[in-house]
Amino acid sequence: MKLRRESHPLVVVGAGPAGLCAALEAAEAGLPPLVLDEGSRGGGQLVKQIHRFFGSREHGAGKRGFQIAEELVSGCLGKGVEIRLGHKVLGFFPDGRLLVDGDEGVFVLQPGATILATGAVEKSFPFPGWTLPGVMGAGAAQTLVNQHRVMPGKRALMVGAGNVGLIVAYQLLQAGVEVAGVIEVNRAVGGYAVHAGRLRREGVPILLRHRLRAAEGKKEVESVLVEDMERGTWKRFSVDTLCLAVGMAPQAELAAMRGCRLVYLSELGGFLPWHDRAMRTDRPGVYVAGDLAGVEEASVAMDEGRLAGLAAALDAGVLDPGEAAERMEEVMDRLELLRGGPFGEPRRKAKERLCSMTGLVTGGAGRKAGIRGRTGRR
Amino acid sequence: MGSEVTDETNGWQEAWEAAENGAVAVMDCHEEIPCNPCQEACPNGAIRVEPHVCALPRLDPGACNGCGRCVALCPGMAVFLLDRRERNGFARVTVPYEMGGKPVEGDVVQVVDGEGKALTEGKILKVRAWGGEAPTLLLTVRVPEEVALKVRGVRYRLIELDEGLEVENAPPLLDYPICRCEDVSLQNVRETLRSGVRSLLTLRRATRVGLGYCQGLFCQSSLREELAAAAGREAWKMGSFRVRPPVRPVKLGRLGGENA
Repeated sequence: MKLRRESHPLVVVGAGPAGLCAALEAAEAGLPPLVLDEGSRGGGQLVKQIHRFFGSREHGAGKRGFQIAEELVSGCLGKGVEIRLGHKVLGFFPDGRLLVDGDEGVFVLQPGATILATGAVEKSFPFPGWTLPGVMGAGAAQTLVNQHRVMPGKRALMVGAGNVGLIVAYQLLQAGVEVAGVIEVNRAVGGYAVHAGRLRREGVPILLRHRLRAAEGKKEVESVLVEDMERGTWKRFSVDTLCLAVGMAPQAELAAMRGCRLVYLSELGGFLPWHDRAMRTDRPGVYVAGDLAGVEEASVAMDEGRLAGLAAALDAGVLDPGEAAERMEEVMDRLELLRGGPFGEPRRKAKERLCSMTGLVTGGAGRKAGIRGRTGRR
Repeated sequence: MGSEVTDETNGWQEAWEAAENGAVAVMDCHEEIPCNPCQEACPNGAIRVEPHVCALPRLDPGACNGCGRCVALCPGMAVFLLDRRERNGFARVTVPYEMGGKPVEGDVVQVVDGEGKALTEGKILKVRAWGGEAPTLLLTVRVPEEVALKVRGVRYRLIELDEGLEVENAPPLLDYPICRCEDVSLQNVRETLRSGVRSLLTLRRATRVGLGYCQGLFCQSSLREELAAAAGREAWKMGSFRVRPPVRPVKLGRLGGENA
């Protein structure tokens, strides 16, 4: 039995903000790509974001996430981009071919070039009771309330006071879930003060130096044990839902399978594919963008997507080098500014260290540049 | 945070004075985050976020007409309107509102400060909506002038802070699964590590961790940390499971050409 074969000059994996902006940019340059996404709606994480976005006009700032998603999707369709939803990419082989599972069956796709924009996955950690129903990632809770309109429970405790924890806690309140509090092991809120402010004014306490110790319950979460790290005492909160917002990691499986060199940068979420400033990996014809290339904001993902789309169009010979350079510089300048504040600074420095390496760098040179690396394949 | 534009009060004094003549924006935005929709929202150019997108917003109260568009469009819900025209000890404050309850004019609400504590009870004087197809509500309430600058929101009911119940003795930590797909316990993994196993691959062969549905998506970083602790090395140096297709679960029949 032979699998069906298909080919396309440019394939984008992932229809989130990075993938769609890459597709838009490539299409504008005359290379409309085929975009694959496993979700049922285009826009990636944006489809479940009901809050107004930060950033500036180029990123749809001031609009709600799902509205930005709709604009990006219709923009792509208007420029001849083909978006296939419900398509899972199962494999990305060293010879550059993709194995795809879609409504037409499982098929082999031969791309001219590939832009990976597979996003990130929520981090998790084990603790007593973590397998009880009611324990979930903050992103899962957000999908439930905002996309499926299902309440995850009646009363929740959030772990982690970064932006995701703060935003999702607020959105749980909006959906009618009581939020007992947000606990955070650090001495300060990790997310934006304005997000913490919105939550506090609703009467939700943000408990700093508090650590999750256990979820308790017979068949599902009934309470959560928390340690007050300053006083060394323990508290029990009666909740039926425990949400974890303890960071995200790039989903680098496909990049690793393709043989892209992976590097470890904790500021950007862990292992991620090495890439240059134009989002090229060390494998020819393979580009990355968005959270896969380092977990950051949606606005950054959009601009990185634009860079990847431009680079792919340039390398395919459909875009004039002078024009490409001009557009890229404009986007790179904007990215520099987005990473300008105190929140962006550690990420900006990590990206700088990453991009200061050129091409395939040996372990020694990488160590000198402060990069911890290993190749994806062994 | 190291910038000459930092101004703790964000021009509140000027806004307070200008509010004697009508509604004016008050901004509670003190962090340099990449965000400038307030500048875009203002039809009069009264708000500048300069020289770059991470700069703090600067409001020129003289140019502000109190329209409230910035209040609705600020993603941080950190802009409010202050109106002191009444000059009888009361001020009108307008706050953004994105909770449920369908507020209508005349509703009596709790007016709260930044910690969610009630400052006063007030009647909603005005309900407006701004901001496209999914607008933000702007609620105007009348409050005593002395609390006006502390107002951050309104609530239909106050929730008592949940401080949690003190627990007498810290309960003993039970054993629990570290790999949930294959139900491998933490103790099992630690015992295996004590026997001298020092690689993810051997650990997987010995205990079946990472061989389930999620293929190590949830447990890999925890396993790496356990390995690192046993080996006295940094976690990222402990390697990763080799990635093999399929990276997403798929029925074998589909790989064989079935389409159902």
